[in-house]
Amino acid sequence: MKLRHYETMFLLHPELNSEDRDEAVEKFSNIITEDGGQIVNIDKWPLKKLAYKVQKQTHGYYVVIDFGAKGATIHELTRNFRLDERVMKFITTKLDDEFDPEEAAKKYEQKEQKEDVQTTETSSDSSEEKEE
Amino acid sequence: MQRPQNRYRRRRIYVRRKICRFCADKSIVLDFKDADLLKHFITERGKILPRRVTGTCAKHQRRLTNAVKKARIMALIPFTSGHALKD
Repeated sequence: MKLRHYETMFLLHPELNSEDRDEAVEKFSNIITEDGGQIVNIDKWPLKKLAYKVQKQTHGYYVVIDFGAKGATIHELTRNFRLDERVMKFITTKLDDEFDPEEAAKKYEQKEQKEDVQTTETSSDSSEEKEE
Repeated sequence: MQRPQNRYRRRRIYVRRKICRFCADKSIVLDFKDADLLKHFITERGKILPRRVTGTCAKHQRRLTNAVKKARIMALIPFTSGHALKD
């Protein structure tokens, strides 16, 4: 069966320690790979303030997984997200009907280079704001 | 007869064609995860700004609304200021 390009983002409970978080991420990435999917990138965001309260929590850890998988895998993934109490919110979006692992990986190589430039820019911006 | 003419002239003076930000800068990718970018396109109450205010083209406005709605679901930006957390 053909693989499609997906991206899933989920929100983990703020009271989890880093080991628990890694364990949760591993669990979901295993669901993808065991079903014949390929993971391109896993992005774990630092603790972030939410826009509104979710399950009475004001903060949370976001994780973004970029991967290629079959449509049936998504159903299994969604089912597990619903069952897992560590996950407060999740969303899976289809990026493309075709999945090309090399093409998808390229995007992250470029992004890393860009981020290096951006971090230097933003650090100078923030210092300017403080002066004002 | 003079009134409509005046109105027309006034309009011509004040209306300046705004350019769609996403067409002008092709490097900006509309992504629901980019909350800092989406914040420019919502009001203080959290509503999506209309095209006539931001100047976004129809194609990108459609993508923008979808991105904003996804970002709201993920608690990246508020649905309304009433439920938003204060800094």
